Amino acid sequence: MDSFFAWIEQTPLSIYVREDLYAFFVILIFHSLGMAFLVGGGAAICLRVVGLASGAPLQKFRGFFPVMWVGLTLAVISGVLLLIGYPAKALTNPVFALKFACLISAGLLVREIARRLFPLAERGEELPSWSRWLGLAALLLWAGGVTAGKFLPYTHHILMVS
Amino acid sequence: MRPDPIFDVAALERFGIDTGIFAVMNSKWGWPICESIHFLGLCLLMASVGMFDLRMMGVARGLPMSALHRLVPFGVAGWLMCVATGFLFFMTAPGQYLYNPAFQTKMTFMGLAGVNMALFYASAASAVHAAGPEDLPPLRARLIALVSLGCWVGVITCGRLITFFRPPYHWCIWC
Repeated sequence: MDSFFAWIEQTPLSIYVREDLYAFFVILIFHSLGMAFLVGGGAAICLRVVGLASGAPLQKFRGFFPVMWVGLTLAVISGVLLLIGYPAKALTNPVFALKFACLISAGLLVREIARRLFPLAERGEELPSWSRWLGLAALLLWAGGVTAGKFLPYTHHILMVS
Repeated sequence: MRPDPIFDVAALERFGIDTGIFAVMNSKWGWPICESIHFLGLCLLMASVGMFDLRMMGVARGLPMSALHRLVPFGVAGWLMCVATGFLFFMTAPGQYLYNPAFQTKMTFMGLAGVNMALFYASAASAVHAAGPEDLPPLRARLIALVSLGCWVGVITCGRLITFFRPPYHWCIWC
C-alpha cells in the first residue's frame, strides 16, 4: 500500500496540489464552502425533525436537497484533490475513517428521514416519537464528521511528503 | 514598520499569556477542539441564517419564512460559538491576526453582515413574515438575503486564507 501511496504522491497532480502556491488553499476554501452548505442543509432538516421550527412543513425542506448536493459535489471534488495531494497522510489515519463513517451515516439517516418521514408529513400525519431520536442522531453524526475532519491535520502519523 | 497607534500587540499577547489562553491553545488538543467548535458554529449559522437567506432568494418555496425564521436563534448560538473560539485564536497570536489581510477582510465581511442584518430587521422583516409559504419576498429582502449569504461565503473564504498570509505579511493601513 505504501508503494501505491508513494506512486500517487509522485504524480504531477499530487505534486501540484502540494507545491503550487495557491492550489492547496483554493482547494481548502472549496472544501470548507462545500461542507458548510452540505452540513448546513442537513442540520436544518435535522433540527426540524428534532422538533424545532415546527410550523414549517417538514416535506418542504426537500427544497434544500439541491443545495446539499451542490455542497456535496464541491466537498467531494476538493476532497479527492486533497487526497491525491496527501494519500498516505490521510488513508493511514483512523480519524479519516471515522470522518467518513460519521458523514456517510449522517447522509443515510437524512435519506431515511426523506423516505419515511416526508410522506407522513405530506399526508399531515403526526411524526412517530422515534423520529426525534433519528434527527438527533443524524445531527450528532454531522457534528462528529466535521469534528473528525478538523482533527485530521493534528492526528496523522505517517507523512511521506511535505 | 511604524508603531501601531491603536492596538498594543504586546499588551494583547500578555493578556493571552496571563489568562492562560496561550497555554490552553498550545496544549495538544486545544487548537483542534476550538477549530471544531468554530466550524460547528459556522454550520449552525449556515443551517439557520444561510437556509433562511436561500429561502428568501427563492429556494425551497413552500416553506413559510416566518416558520423557518424560528431557527435563527440557533444561528445566533452558532455565531457566539464562533466569536468565543475566534477570541481564543486571536489572543493566542494577536499579531498574526491584526495585520493579516485575510483576517481584516473577514472582519469587514462580518461587519457588513451585521449592518445588513440591521437593515433586514428595520426594513424587510415584517414583509417577509407576512409573506405566504409559496411567495417570494419583496426585491429588497431578496437583495438583503443575497448580501447576507455572500458575506458568510466571504467569511469562510477569508477564514481559510488566514494561514496563507503568515508573517512577514504585515498589513496595517491605520499605522
